[in-house]
Amino acid sequence: MLSSLPSSFREYGLSTDVRTLLLLRKAIDRGLVKTLGDMYTVLRAIIVKEPADMGPYTRAYYRYFLDIDIRHGESLEDAIVRSETFEKWKTQYLKEEDEDANLSEEELVNIFLDQVHLTHYDIKEVINGKEIFDNDDPDLKDKEAEGEYDLSEREARKLEKMADYSDLSLKELLERFEKIKNQQKSRHEGGSHWIGTGGISPFGHGGAAKNGIRVGGSGGGKMARKVIGDRNYYPVDRDATINDNNVDAALASIKGVIEESATENLDIPVTIKSGLKRGGLFLPELSSEKNEKLQIIVLIDNGGYSMSPFVKTVQELFRKMKTRFAHDLEVFYFHNTVYDVVYKDARRTKPFEIKRLLKYDKHYRVFFIGDAAMAPYELDGESIQSLQAIVKKFKKTVWLNPEPIKYWGFTYTIQMVQQIMPMFPLTPNGIERAVQHMNKKSVV
Amino acid sequence: MAETTYWTGSEKYLCDTALAQAFHMARVLGMPLLIEGEPGTGKTELPLHYAKNMGLDLHVYPVGSKSTVDQFVAKFDHVKYLRDSQIEILNAQREEKGLDSRLSTGGRNPEVLADYVAKGPAALAYSSPNSVLLIDEIDKAPREFPNDLLYALSHRKFIMPESGEVVEISEDDMPAIVITSNREQELPTAFKGRCIYHYIDFPDKEVMAKIIEKHYPDIEDDVVNVAMDVFYHLRKVGLERAPTTREILNWLKYIKQSASKEAIEKIERLEGLGALIKTQPDMDKVQRMLRVDPNNFTGPSLN
Repeated sequence: MLSSLPSSFREYGLSTDVRTLLLLRKAIDRGLVKTLGDMYTVLRAIIVKEPADMGPYTRAYYRYFLDIDIRHGESLEDAIVRSETFEKWKTQYLKEEDEDANLSEEELVNIFLDQVHLTHYDIKEVINGKEIFDNDDPDLKDKEAEGEYDLSEREARKLEKMADYSDLSLKELLERFEKIKNQQKSRHEGGSHWIGTGGISPFGHGGAAKNGIRVGGSGGGKMARKVIGDRNYYPVDRDATINDNNVDAALASIKGVIEESATENLDIPVTIKSGLKRGGLFLPELSSEKNEKLQIIVLIDNGGYSMSPFVKTVQELFRKMKTRFAHDLEVFYFHNTVYDVVYKDARRTKPFEIKRLLKYDKHYRVFFIGDAAMAPYELDGESIQSLQAIVKKFKKTVWLNPEPIKYWGFTYTIQMVQQIMPMFPLTPNGIERAVQHMNKKSVV
Repeated sequence: MAETTYWTGSEKYLCDTALAQAFHMARVLGMPLLIEGEPGTGKTELPLHYAKNMGLDLHVYPVGSKSTVDQFVAKFDHVKYLRDSQIEILNAQREEKGLDSRLSTGGRNPEVLADYVAKGPAALAYSSPNSVLLIDEIDKAPREFPNDLLYALSHRKFIMPESGEVVEISEDDMPAIVITSNREQELPTAFKGRCIYHYIDFPDKEVMAKIIEKHYPDIEDDVVNVAMDVFYHLRKVGLERAPTTREILNWLKYIKQSASKEAIEKIERLEGLGALIKTQPDMDKVQRMLRVDPNNFTGPSLN
């Protein structure tokens, strides 16, 4: 049942697998999923792991359960109005709800959203509300006796409908969801029953909205609407060359180079001091310590037009790192490739000899940032020697290249550099891979 | 049976519906609830009020940058153990010298190792059925901490150091575990996979007005509205560190010292902006924007 769910959601970049289904089963088994709206909230809690998943998740859900395809940059309303599911639902709804025939499109979308996102919590609220109402009304019995029951008869019928699904077994519920899903796809099915009488939603007659517990597109519907229109709920493009939008994602990946650990150590001076005060009774004193190690050398190619768009973003990236972790972070500059000196300033006026650079602690991690594209004669023996010396001394050295990876094969000097050290694209994903490469145990 | 009633908040704490549902789901499934969201969205409040309202035991573990899983679960107190074992010797020596007074070990017996296990919040929560366990600000911890937690969270079982005592709890008695995070660092995927996830949205104007009213009931609505206009505008312009609930509350604290008309003027002049903006680049940016269009922040074009 619903076995195509994981693969369908994965198309939207969400990590779903068989565990998702198992957890969903458990949730259904424990009575958490009774309506389509419950399905939305439960799956959301299981699948979504950060705000950026919300947009893709909502799209995947609408696609999978309602066959509504929300195109990129389209609002939820437009997608709904455009869809066949809504068309079918509208026909059905208007037929059953003869009295309110002149609803605007907007109102209809609101009702549709309400029904889709109706959860069993809402239904409980209605039932509780009714109980409270009944209890609060001392005249109720008299009224019943007088035959004025017709007002609440409709209510009662609705409540009956609400209750009738709660006895369904796990298997039946799953079958029902499967059916709902398939009904959206089959065009020739006579009439749509996915919502309302035959569907999962116990009252498809605008009952919820009428009882006043929800107003147009509140609750889950409101959330879905908000999520679709907001860039914050979409992941940044992790494969785009680093830019202002994804610089934070890059920062998050590059933070992996920080070696962090917390340990409890025997604090010898304190132990001795307090032991002496106690007249020779030495008790071990412990101190907790956080070790954060960040030793980075960044070498930036800031010569030539090809690099200029990226230099600012790269500087920004490492500046942010430095403000958050005030540690050993050294930035140097070079043009195209490294000979016997690099420069301490961006204008390349203060030379810094490679010989001195090589005296740094060998645990430094070295990032080269450049396009490595130059005339073949520029990458001469001296330059290759310098690069090799750096790689030999600093085992954790990588080259980050802003050039799209597909062009790498066409540039001779890129291939040369790649033979000397590993090269990764200057994208959040590329940085992450570079950091993973550095963190490998074998690279010591 | 585990405490799995649907809880929607108490008189003092209004729980957002989506959050209440996620919390309920987590308890029914016996999984920890991971709440993320910007500072000042009331993440920590949920378990505190829940425990208080339902009359359940609450165990809190505030995570810090030096947190280790030992502190969270249980530690063997070597210091006490050493002290007590030395006291035995001292007492023997005292007796030899004919001294009456004895040093006490405080009821602990050096031969019972369990006496020296200092249980952390996790072990305590797992030994009392249906309690509430809050792990606050887990993103402050060193990176290995959440990974160390994984085992405990998925097995509902801890083994006490040295004494070997096993603290175990059945699924029915699982404590309600709430973990909060400010997203200062990404948590491992495997860790997130074992939690029910909920992201608290930044409060919109309506909710913010309520929050402000809770803190400063005596500020006039006009002042609050103008201040919120500026505040939400500042949040939109893309600052490095967007102001949060705490910042607007501080700002209003400063503003509310003046009478309402004066206060509005103060807001329009953006006095005390330092309460809202916390970094130099942001301040530069705002000031640059003000020079270009001084009416931008308080003019009618705001929304």
